[in-house]
Amino acid sequence: MKRSVPFEIFRYAAILAAIAVTLVPILWMVSMAFKPIGEWSATGTDLTWWPKHPTLANFQFVFGESTNDLIVALDHTALKPILSSLLSAVFGTAIAMSAGTAAAYGLSRFGSGQNLPLALIQLRLFPPMAVMIPVMIMWSFLNFTDSWWGLALVYGIVTLPFAFWLMKTFFDDMPREIEEAALVEGCSRLRVFTRITLPMMRAPLASAALFVFILNWSDYLIALLLTTREWVTIPVYMASLSSSMTGQLYGAKAALGLIAAVPPVIMGIAIQRHLVRGLTFGALKQ
Amino acid sequence: MSAVTATISKGKMDAATGKPAQRDEGARLGFRLTLPAQILVLFISAFPLLMQLYISVTDWSPLSGVGWWNAWEMWNGFANYTDLAADTRFWSALKRTAVVMLVCVPAEFLLGLALATLFADDFPGKRIFYSILLMPMMVVPAVAGYMFFMLFQSGGPVNDILSRIIGAPVTIAWLSDPNLALIAVMIADIWQWTPLMFLVLLAGRVGVPEDQMKAATLLGANAWQRFTTIVLPKMKTIIVIALAIRVIENFKIFDTLYIMTGGGPGVATETISVYIYKVTTQDLIWGYVAAIALAILIVLSIVAVYAMKRMAKTREMTA
Repeated sequence: MKRSVPFEIFRYAAILAAIAVTLVPILWMVSMAFKPIGEWSATGTDLTWWPKHPTLANFQFVFGESTNDLIVALDHTALKPILSSLLSAVFGTAIAMSAGTAAAYGLSRFGSGQNLPLALIQLRLFPPMAVMIPVMIMWSFLNFTDSWWGLALVYGIVTLPFAFWLMKTFFDDMPREIEEAALVEGCSRLRVFTRITLPMMRAPLASAALFVFILNWSDYLIALLLTTREWVTIPVYMASLSSSMTGQLYGAKAALGLIAAVPPVIMGIAIQRHLVRGLTFGALKQ
Repeated sequence: MSAVTATISKGKMDAATGKPAQRDEGARLGFRLTLPAQILVLFISAFPLLMQLYISVTDWSPLSGVGWWNAWEMWNGFANYTDLAADTRFWSALKRTAVVMLVCVPAEFLLGLALATLFADDFPGKRIFYSILLMPMMVVPAVAGYMFFMLFQSGGPVNDILSRIIGAPVTIAWLSDPNLALIAVMIADIWQWTPLMFLVLLAGRVGVPEDQMKAATLLGANAWQRFTTIVLPKMKTIIVIALAIRVIENFKIFDTLYIMTGGGPGVATETISVYIYKVTTQDLIWGYVAAIALAILIVLSIVAVYAMKRMAKTREMTA
């Protein structure tokens, strides 16, 4: 539809304002991550929007290298938390995706597990805080507390609803003709699933896995409750970085924040067209 | 509900086309494929719920020196539930959660709807603007909390911008003032989740038939009339879904808020999740926490059934 010139001006002005509000918090953190210690909490006229003397010292500091400005010693570096975030998110995603994909196929093709759609949405409804007491008791009984595998198991269950619903809508949309042809050729149903359906669904599987990974990687509360020292994840490590001894380590925390924020933003942009489907449990497709 | 029945009949039709032997094979395979998911759901729902119910009628705490299975020794009847009814800190946390929800969700909705309307047709730069505007929802919430923690420092950029506008130094202590702290955490939530509203509402806005809009224009309807008589009614179910998602997620609000204020100053930003977290980790009275959690689960389950009915209806319409 043809629009008037004043409308176009208004539209660009409004969108640019929204973009400014969107970007300022992100850019402030990026800028902070490269600021030397003297500029961290400079205020008033000394406040710097962009580092005057950009430095990588903050990144070196969180990875345990001593730098000239920061004489605080860390009791452990960011390496282990990064490893913990990666392992728990990757294996959590693997659990959610394998159980979710299999169940979605079972329901979509054979009508098995009719209770799952509702049960899984209910699982998503509840605040994690309201189910964590039994989980904490069970995990300490199983000796899963403060371990990446214990965290991965919870992540796998928490994100199972998304994996299941995403894959279910993908399977429902997929044409059945090829599967039926293979059945007529004498393939077993399991073979059809593993040798024909799954390879055909590579792209949707990858999108769903990325979506689930972002959710797992973004967790803070569950890791806060289930890890204490050895296997804390990046957000928990970041929050614990400041103490009354060191004061706020603004730059170091911003550097960590940047490390945590970059992967999901890139992945999110990569799977943009599936976001609506994932977030609305397949109720809406783009 | 109707979505579930639709799948049942689809499954039956599919099975009916096969030979009996194949049908059995399909049913067996379907059972085996859904088994892991069923086990995981049971593992996280049935057993923990029973455990929670059991602990909720005791004074048990991880420090009480007996295993949780022996919690019956500390049976206290329904004292936890009567305590809950009289717990002013719980009710004020619940009220605060409701206030946050009643401010954030409508603000996110209106901003998201306005942006979706601006993005309804094509214009140069649309794709790149769209990608940038979606970024906040992909930022790890704890990190977003830390961003806003920095922004709202008394010597931070928010006050710097205000100083430049007013022309005099502004040093508002956002996060240590009880009223301003709540506003600050709400701003952070709105920043992070307006993109989700925008994303979902835009997907719905694109589905509004263009020919109806053209016909209305020819009949002399102005933009506002087209918006209220065609766009909004067509988007009704999508609006319900978008609002439902945000209401559910906003009720759980924890990460950003806890990083920014830790629920403080005092209890000024203590929402229900923060309250439960503090009772769990600081007061360690887990029997009481179990009672709170169960009460919340029951209320939410009632909401869940209603929401599911709406979602099933939409799926029917878009199918």
